[in-house]
Amino acid sequence: MVKIDCHMHVNGRHHQWGWSGNDCIIEAADKLGIDQLCVSIPTVRGMPTIDEVRENNDDVITMMKRYPERILGYCYICPGHRESIDEISRCLDAGMIGIKLYNQYKIWDPVVYSVIEKAIEEQVPILEHAGYPTTPEDWVDQPNMSHAGDFVRIARLYPQAMLIEAHIGGGGDWEWAIKQLRAVPSVYLDTSGSVIDEGLVEVAARELGVNRLLFGTDMTMEGGVGKVLAANLTESEKEQIFWRNMKGILDRRA
Amino acid sequence: MIIDVNTYIGHWPFRQLRYNTAESLVRRMDKHHIDQAIVASIHGILYKNVHDSNEELAFRTKPHLERLIPFSTLNPTYPGWEEDLRRCAEVLELRGIRLYPQYHGYRLTDSASVELIEAVTQLGWTIQVPMRIVDRRQRHRWDLAEDLKPGDFEVVFNRFPSTSWIVLNGLGFDGKRLNSDANFLIEISRMTSVLQRNIPALIQTAGAQHLAFGSGMPFKVPEPALLKLECLDTSEAIKRRIAWRNVAEMLKLKASDGKKA
Repeated sequence: MVKIDCHMHVNGRHHQWGWSGNDCIIEAADKLGIDQLCVSIPTVRGMPTIDEVRENNDDVITMMKRYPERILGYCYICPGHRESIDEISRCLDAGMIGIKLYNQYKIWDPVVYSVIEKAIEEQVPILEHAGYPTTPEDWVDQPNMSHAGDFVRIARLYPQAMLIEAHIGGGGDWEWAIKQLRAVPSVYLDTSGSVIDEGLVEVAARELGVNRLLFGTDMTMEGGVGKVLAANLTESEKEQIFWRNMKGILDRRA
Repeated sequence: MIIDVNTYIGHWPFRQLRYNTAESLVRRMDKHHIDQAIVASIHGILYKNVHDSNEELAFRTKPHLERLIPFSTLNPTYPGWEEDLRRCAEVLELRGIRLYPQYHGYRLTDSASVELIEAVTQLGWTIQVPMRIVDRRQRHRWDLAEDLKPGDFEVVFNRFPSTSWIVLNGLGFDGKRLNSDANFLIEISRMTSVLQRNIPALIQTAGAQHLAFGSGMPFKVPEPALLKLECLDTSEAIKRRIAWRNVAEMLKLKASDGKKA
């Protein structure tokens, strides 16, 4: 079965994720039957300079060139930079397929509006880091991390945007997140993250519909594939999650 | 041949679980070609008098003892654990013990715990300790248990090297810091074979004789752990060690897949 990982990362000069060499990613993908990986290099804590943002994106472009059939790139943006829109254009011209936002601003912050409008204009998705930890200490160092309620708020303002809430298994109360997202049919949810709870994918499919779910790993490779395989869904439904839904998103711009 | 060292039956008060009866666990094992599983009670973790859950577990697993290996739950800070331990072994015929210091408010090196560890070692039983039950980031506000740390186990492996230990939901171990003479297994469901490759790293530093397959059912789905076994870049003999042989030797099970290990 074809698999497109909608949420993955590569090492870059500013960020190493805990494995030695980006070739490991392709080796892992080969073992797990993952055909393509949509990757980014965000700055995960603090506010990056625009130079750091560009260098992160340059490192993604390097990997796209190294593995042109396998690696697809997201353009990471810290929306507060006045150069952000130009950086998105540069990255899309280089072949990137979408925009990655991290935790620098809530997704409904007006500073993000121009990025969302650019994404709508270019017909590309926005993948935004998200979570709803029930532990206050996990909010301390990323107070502007968006949660599902934040996606509801912005999706009502921009229902035509292709917004992807990142890693339902990436930390936090996934049942809370799924219930929130029932209110906005335009928001996609990616299945990535280290949480491989029984029922996670089925509950998301039941409450949101399989057409809103996108397979992802976010570096939890066996867990990411395994939790979709484990879901009590039809093969056709799993195909939607593993690749058809993401392919549909990518085809809008193609 | 696969033996799953990390399964449960019962209810968790903070999230609905499926496939959480002995019968449904065995059906899941059949589906995934898992031959045997060590199983303990979930809700017993939160009973004040945890021993009641041992009686329930013995009753629920009795029809499935060819497949399920029931492990007791005891709390060394609660009165009468010595008699409860005796009953678990002699009356209920349970086969080992799972401890939860993070839920019962003690450290493994506390005097009450040490007494229990020594008594269990005398019995020849294996002690399982989960580093955690659920991901801390999604816990209920009443579930205040903190994850145990690799250092907690390094200490007890050194202090009780002849005790049989299995760490469940293990992560973050540096094999070089573990007492290679100690009798321990670390269960793999939170580690990886690819990318971060912490299973191969632990094979290299601690040795394959210290790893065991576990799924975490019914909290977790078993497919990721099975994929880890499948993707592990090592010999078939080492995979067999992890899949069943190490734990079979520890528990003295008459298990075999008919292949030379």
